[in-house]
Amino acid sequence: MIRRALVGLLAAALLAATAHAAPVRITDDLQHVVAFDQPPRRIVALLPSLTETVCALGDCDRLVGVDRYSNWPAQVEKLPKLGGLDDPQVEAIVALRPDVVLLAPSLRIQDRLEALGLKVLVLQTRTQADVRRVFQALGEMLGRPDPLAPWRAIDADMARIAATVPPSMHGRSVYFEVDAAPYAAGASSFIGETLARLGLRNVVGPELGPFPKLNPEFVVRADPELVMIGRRNADSLAGRPGWSRIRALKAHAVCAFDPAESDVIARPGPRMAQGAEAMARCLRRLADASAQ
Amino acid sequence: MSLRALALTLLAAGLALLLLGLCVGSTGLSLEALRGADDVPRAILWEIRLPRSIGAWLTGALLGVAGATAQGLFRNPLADPYLLGASAGAALGVALVLVGWGSGAVAASVLARLGMTGAAFAGSVGAMVLTLTLARGAEQTLRLLLAGVVVGVVLLAATSVLTLLNPDVLRSMQVFMLGNTALLSGASIAMLLPVLVLAGSAAYGASRALDALALGESTARSLGLPLAGVRFALVGVLALCTGAAVAQCGLVAFVGLVAPHLVRGRCGGAHGPLLALSALAGGALLLSADILARGLFAPQELPVGIVTSLLGGVYLLVLMQRGRFGRTAA
Amino acid sequence: MSGPLFELELEAVRLQDRAVLHAQRLALPEGGWSAVVGPNGAGKSTLLRALAGLLPVEGRLALRGRPLADWPARERARLVSWLGQNEPVPATASAQDVVMLGRLPHQGWLAPASEDDRRAVERAMRRAHCWDWRTRPLAELSGGERQRVLLARALAVEASVLLLDEPLAHLDPSHQADWIALVRELAREGRSVLAVLHELNVALQADRLLVMHAGRVRHVGAAAEPATLAALQSAFDHRLHLACLQGRWVCLPFALATASEPAPCTHPALTT
Repeated sequence: MIRRALVGLLAAALLAATAHAAPVRITDDLQHVVAFDQPPRRIVALLPSLTETVCALGDCDRLVGVDRYSNWPAQVEKLPKLGGLDDPQVEAIVALRPDVVLLAPSLRIQDRLEALGLKVLVLQTRTQADVRRVFQALGEMLGRPDPLAPWRAIDADMARIAATVPPSMHGRSVYFEVDAAPYAAGASSFIGETLARLGLRNVVGPELGPFPKLNPEFVVRADPELVMIGRRNADSLAGRPGWSRIRALKAHAVCAFDPAESDVIARPGPRMAQGAEAMARCLRRLADASAQ
Repeated sequence: MSLRALALTLLAAGLALLLLGLCVGSTGLSLEALRGADDVPRAILWEIRLPRSIGAWLTGALLGVAGATAQGLFRNPLADPYLLGASAGAALGVALVLVGWGSGAVAASVLARLGMTGAAFAGSVGAMVLTLTLARGAEQTLRLLLAGVVVGVVLLAATSVLTLLNPDVLRSMQVFMLGNTALLSGASIAMLLPVLVLAGSAAYGASRALDALALGESTARSLGLPLAGVRFALVGVLALCTGAAVAQCGLVAFVGLVAPHLVRGRCGGAHGPLLALSALAGGALLLSADILARGLFAPQELPVGIVTSLLGGVYLLVLMQRGRFGRTAA
Repeated sequence: MSGPLFELELEAVRLQDRAVLHAQRLALPEGGWSAVVGPNGAGKSTLLRALAGLLPVEGRLALRGRPLADWPARERARLVSWLGQNEPVPATASAQDVVMLGRLPHQGWLAPASEDDRRAVERAMRRAHCWDWRTRPLAELSGGERQRVLLARALAVEASVLLLDEPLAHLDPSHQADWIALVRELAREGRSVLAVLHELNVALQADRLLVMHAGRVRHVGAAAEPATLAALQSAFDHRLHLACLQGRWVCLPFALATASEPAPCTHPALTT
């Protein structure tokens, strides 16, 4: 009987072992399939949103190196900085002996790293759907039983924040300026998706692309009720020819975000709820102000 | 076509383009705005399209004058207004303002008052002063050119470092580097027009000296011309014109280079008419580029510098085919 | 004019810290045609530039008794006309426009060309034999035609003193003869012509020769004088073959005969 128990135990152990030994196959955005026998212990992430996703999945400790611009959470600031989006330091990356390197498609070093024998995952985060997909992929890679759990939490958070937007703001037209040219955030951009979730109507439709460079006339014609812009350019709005007629400017319905807030709003990643909250906060303030 | 006929043609073209500029906007080409029934279209016409079109013409005229001055001063048909470091200085000024806005409050208030326009102007003029200092005055043309190259390269490197460390200003810098006429206003005209009148008159006053300079600096001196003073004045003209143009519209490529060549054939060696006609040609060139930039993909806009590069490049190609550049004298 | 035209008491004239002209004294009288000759690097062009006021001079240089630096630029430009060697040329300007530039010392600031100016330009261009193609741009002219236009430019100043550096460049023999006739006429009008010449045969027909060697004027004198000829030989390292041909001195570079030399000419010299 003890022998049968031992065989059973051995079988169970073998089963468990093989279950763990089955390699996880992850398909990245370039349709490359990368196999992991076990979850990587040493991860290099060269895009802020990928860094944040790894940390949101609870494996921040596995990060051994990040890019220059990754700044959240605080513990990644102590990690070695391996360059920017277009000039990563290949030598430094290789010296860290990572089990996997996470990149954006804009980087051209993926071939170089693969030739040096490293595993590379190319992941793009431009829309909310992308964020969900990356959570799935990285969660699987890290061996999480429920990779989308953090995503559902973020989603729920977004719904909660959308609910805090005052009803008087629902359906209002909004113009989000990304840069003073003017470059706007269109409905098909990540920022546009956030605006849509908050119940606002973007004056820039999806047919114009994610970040179109607009004729300022267009904005005057569209006459948005709300304007959202970075603080840097907010002061010059009234001085633009013809813009003083815009409803948003006449009613002072302008949300000016400081650089840290703009950073989060524009970054498709785990902190998108923070970005939405920054916008919602402004909307609540404006609703209160107009109520008085 | 005689000189006078060419001048009248360019003037007429400018007016026609102005009219066209009133009709082209975010809805493409449409004449409804001219009928001006509603309040908004009328506002768009007078407050947006008119100042923008006039501003674009004035900027082009300034670049034309600067280009003709540079080509006469350096006796080089490929000289352009940005030769003495003006473009790099303006870019650095703008980059400093953009970066400073993101950081500390003290810097922000000073920079905010200066604004992008002021920073670009100050950077442009400052770079040229630096070039003059490095060349130890405007005595020798070659030294001036070399100093300009040095200043341009070094300031560009500084700008690149700034944008590398602060990538969020990249898009704004790109807008500046490619030229942007979208936000020209009445205030822009108030800056551009006096500079054109002032600098244009000064350049015209020195036009005889430019004529003589074509014979070489020694010959010009032997004819009794006060070369050092004239050169200094011309560099000043260059600084003012380029600074004002760059401050309002960013780095618009090619207009300063091509405008004088469009009219040079009719002028012979006389720089007086060349300066005036270059102004008219430059204005027409930039205004037509602005109209194309607005109209081609309305309501989106192309950066105007891309259109000027295309237009200017094509025209230079045509000139080359005609053999205009095939001959050189002595 | 009683005093000398140019009085030079020179310490040195430097180009980029190197002394090209050395300490010397020179007094050039007014009037006549003087030719400056010498081997390459003797400093002929530099001397002309210094006299024209285009180079700083260490020492004293006086024009008609007055230090050159005291002359207002335009007054000096009306008196002294300088034609350089290998100077740039505007390609698109017409010949007439280029010659008109010579009238600048006489024109008010931004003043248009007056009747006087136009007549002076025509006179100058006719004298230089380039009036016929006055409307053609310089880029379309041959080397010789361009040189005549530049000469006309120098003549248009109607200055009393002409400083010409290699005026015969690109000119064929018939035009060289025209030039000699022109200079003699200018001398008859009382003007002074100082020309740097490479063509020794032409130079030997001048009223006066300035023989230069190694940064100094070694001799000033009439071309026919033996002392002048001796100085000339010495300056050129005794490599010249000077001969008197039908009353004129001619000069040939002297090379020792070799076996393949053609036989010397047996026919008498031909003249027109």
